[in-house]
Amino acid sequence: MADAELKQKVEELIAANAVLLFMKGTPEMPRCGFSMRVVQVLDAMDVEYGAVDVLPALRPLREVTAEISDWQTFPQLYVNGELLGGADIVEEMFDSGELAEALGVEQPEAAPAQSAPAQAPPLQIE
Amino acid sequence: MAADLGEIKAMIEAALPGASVEVVDETGSGDHLAASVAAPQFEGLSRIDQHRLVKAAVKERFEDGTIHALSLKTTVPAS
Repeated sequence: MADAELKQKVEELIAANAVLLFMKGTPEMPRCGFSMRVVQVLDAMDVEYGAVDVLPALRPLREVTAEISDWQTFPQLYVNGELLGGADIVEEMFDSGELAEALGVEQPEAAPAQSAPAQAPPLQIE
Repeated sequence: MAADLGEIKAMIEAALPGASVEVVDETGSGDHLAASVAAPQFEGLSRIDQHRLVKAAVKERFEDGTIHALSLKTTVPAS
């Protein structure tokens, strides 16, 4: 069972932010390659978004998002209250133009910055 | 413990009859996998729901720690 108080806070955040990213680390300093990829896409879209660092409360937040969205891995991008997806989906939707449509912005001409060369990938699930 | 790619593929195929599934080991470590899944069941679903179906099929292997990450590419097969 997820913590009821935390769940309510998360629901309030999702409701209050049209574009909300749950990520490992911060947009300035992502602590996970998948989170960094989503930040790069959002930066390329030039859209305002809220970002929540999940690392300080990873396990309880997993339990909460499992209940809210049936999704336990981070990053998670919410747009207008709905979970859009993690890094794979966000990048695919960026490439197809669906993300720009969902965000209500113009598709940017520049592709998002490429991630650093492959390293050992970060763990998504404990 | 490294995941059995054949087993993962079979689990997805069992959950989505008629799907064509390809599973690869992304890093050589055996626990970060990537799968391409084309399934008729995806028709009309959002990407997140398509991914949910696949993740649900292999949930057990996430829970027992066999796989840590599964990158997904889902498509609806051309009919």
